[in-house]
Amino acid sequence: MVITGRLVLLALIGVVPVVLYPGIVSTLLWAGLLAAVCGLDVALAASPRRVGIVRTLPDGVRLGEECSSTMVLRNDSRRPLRATVREAWQPSAGAVDPEQFVAVPAGESRRMSVSLRPTRRGIRRVETVTIRSTGPMGVAARQVTVPAPGVLRVLPPFNSKRHLPSKLRRLRELDGQSAVQIRGAGTEFDSLRDYVRGDDVRSIDWRATARRQDTVVRTWRPERDRRVVVVLDTSRTSAARVLDEPRLDTGIEAALLLSVLAERGGDKVHFLAFDRRLRARVDSTAKGSLLGALVTAMAPLDAELIEADWSRLPAHVRSASAHRSLVVLLTSLDAGAVEEGLLPALPALTERHVVVVASVRDPRLEELSIDRSTAAATFRAAAAERALLDRAAVANQIRLLGAEVVDAVPADLPPLLADTYIRLKAAGRL
Amino acid sequence: MGDGSTALATARSRLRRAVPLLIGAVVLAVVVLVNLLSGQEEDDRPLSPGNPAPDGARAVAEVLESEGVDVVRVHTYEDAIEALGDDSATLFLNDAQQYLSADQLSKLTAGAERAVLAAPGERQLTALDEEFAVVGAVPVDFAGEASAVAAECSDPDALAAGTLSGNGTAYSGAVTCFPASIDGETGGLYITDTDGSVAVLGAPEILSNGLITDEGNAALALRALGSTPTLVWYEPSGADVASTGEGIDPLTLLPAWVDFLLIWLLLCAVLAMVWRGRRVGPLAIEPLPVVVRAAETAEGRARLYQDSGSVAHAAATLRAATLARLAQRLRVERSASPTEVLQAAARHSGRSQVELEQRLLGHTPTTNRELVLWAQEILDLEKEITS
Repeated sequence: MVITGRLVLLALIGVVPVVLYPGIVSTLLWAGLLAAVCGLDVALAASPRRVGIVRTLPDGVRLGEECSSTMVLRNDSRRPLRATVREAWQPSAGAVDPEQFVAVPAGESRRMSVSLRPTRRGIRRVETVTIRSTGPMGVAARQVTVPAPGVLRVLPPFNSKRHLPSKLRRLRELDGQSAVQIRGAGTEFDSLRDYVRGDDVRSIDWRATARRQDTVVRTWRPERDRRVVVVLDTSRTSAARVLDEPRLDTGIEAALLLSVLAERGGDKVHFLAFDRRLRARVDSTAKGSLLGALVTAMAPLDAELIEADWSRLPAHVRSASAHRSLVVLLTSLDAGAVEEGLLPALPALTERHVVVVASVRDPRLEELSIDRSTAAATFRAAAAERALLDRAAVANQIRLLGAEVVDAVPADLPPLLADTYIRLKAAGRL
Repeated sequence: MGDGSTALATARSRLRRAVPLLIGAVVLAVVVLVNLLSGQEEDDRPLSPGNPAPDGARAVAEVLESEGVDVVRVHTYEDAIEALGDDSATLFLNDAQQYLSADQLSKLTAGAERAVLAAPGERQLTALDEEFAVVGAVPVDFAGEASAVAAECSDPDALAAGTLSGNGTAYSGAVTCFPASIDGETGGLYITDTDGSVAVLGAPEILSNGLITDEGNAALALRALGSTPTLVWYEPSGADVASTGEGIDPLTLLPAWVDFLLIWLLLCAVLAMVWRGRRVGPLAIEPLPVVVRAAETAEGRARLYQDSGSVAHAAATLRAATLARLAQRLRVERSASPTEVLQAAARHSGRSQVELEQRLLGHTPTTNRELVLWAQEILDLEKEITS
């Protein structure tokens, strides 16, 4: 049982008889009146237990967009239901109006819609719906919490989508480009066309030129149907926040841009989320849209507070792609973690594949390193410089092992990684 | 169709969830009750017959009890008068705060067969039959221990005690025992009137547990307090202060309905709390991710540098970072030595190589202040060379 503000108001009106007829009798009478009104109202309220709830939720919503959770409340009792209904969404689901007043006549249904504006990627849940059914006088109510589980998948926002058109244009420019510096293995013969000024003379096809009056050059197109394996590190280092965004989320943005770009470029994309075991896997060869499958698989990913076991990675990569592939590792370049884990495992990858190690750099370190105003700031600058030097040393070691390194601040990482892919593709190294 | 449960089931589950709270409430109530029932807070007032501390007077009271004297503790004036109504009772009045008026005091002494007043105030002595007066505080001899005072009077109790220790207030009256001289005037620590029915004890501390065994304190105390079958030990409280004039209880000025109104408003307040305090359903639980800033390790390391005063180490790191950036910027080989980097820097900037080496390599700061200045200097130098 729940009482409302009206009952308190009624109790306050009781001040009048208590003052006018002071004594125990008037006090008890008014208290009895309150109790009677309460009891009557509760008895006349529609039973909140006899309410049917059917909820409709969207499959997923991109972070930053709004969606709504719609519930149909069916009143199975014989009295009209006047109720405050609350959907107990987790706070990060960003429910704007989770508590609403609903009036449902007996035997009918009404729709109730709660706007959700999620504030965090992941799986957001609602476990219960609470119905507070008020009596006809509105002084007391019956309240019941009904289990009504629901799940909302908050997908990564894919803000790096804005880079996609320009990168796609560059990718298309590769098509039909004469293979200027890159004759040789890995490029595929496309067609012959007339020579125009500026073409590399080395690409002139003399035999074709001899058959015709004009000079003819061969053109090449980038290879297709190559394999790109994107590995996202979900170990403890990915939990660290850079510019108030976990490394994991920046990695997801970069992985999304690269995957979509590679798929449009005609390559096969495999996505693996990995720390000690496989957390998620998406293959572009499967049916349906790659982007949809990717964001759905990425939504529930969270940084696990364990160390990554890179020695198991080559086996996973092999199971995803048996051929020579471009393997992109989205991880961090923290000195200790990389030296212990990634470096020993890297040669096994680089001997079969082209490997790119991409990492988010913290712009805060650079800010710290140039602030030398006080003693404390100078020590901070020294520590930041030490971290940057360690990072550079680790990146250098990775390069020595034959892998490429992309190290950029969060905003630049997705486009830079895409550029690296385009460069490697143009160079025919895939 | 709802959760399919019944009101009874809901009530039962709520009751089950409330069990720990109920148990807690019961335990709390029991603790409060036990505390209330055991009631008596510890008696720690000085010269109280129930106080076993050095400044209490439980020893005297116990000895008197075992000697057959009925020690009656009273705390109010009415109780004292009633207790003194029996014949042959000695009154011991310990009124350190001087709550009683002179009239009350004289009535009390008149009712008692014998009265011993512990250091009364001058104001309180004015209405007694015989003349008592306060002479002044006996000066404390800070040099040594409190010296014993000899009786030097005809009172049998005082003579039996012989000597008395302790300091107090000297009084003058009919029979002056244990004399002390204060600024030329002479007073005593134990004064009785001519027939010995009223005695003023200027040094009540002699009754305390700590001092009772010194000198003749015990003899005087037992004789003065234990001469009758009953001893009324009266410690007045603030409630005994006699009101002057016709007082009016302010509560009687209020109209009759105020009590009921207050009760009713209390009820309203409770209802309002219940109204506002009830949530619409339970809280939603959400596991939140850890928040670790990536630069935290660097900042922690900086504090380690600072706390251990590793100025040289910090300087070496800053130098290495500057050289690394210069090498990258000037396209010197990664494995080049610092001298080679500075050679390139000198070529690029037009400064002499010797000067650069002196400023960047030759100087190593030793204090925080030098470190800050040097760090700023090499940063400026780096900007100048690379710009």
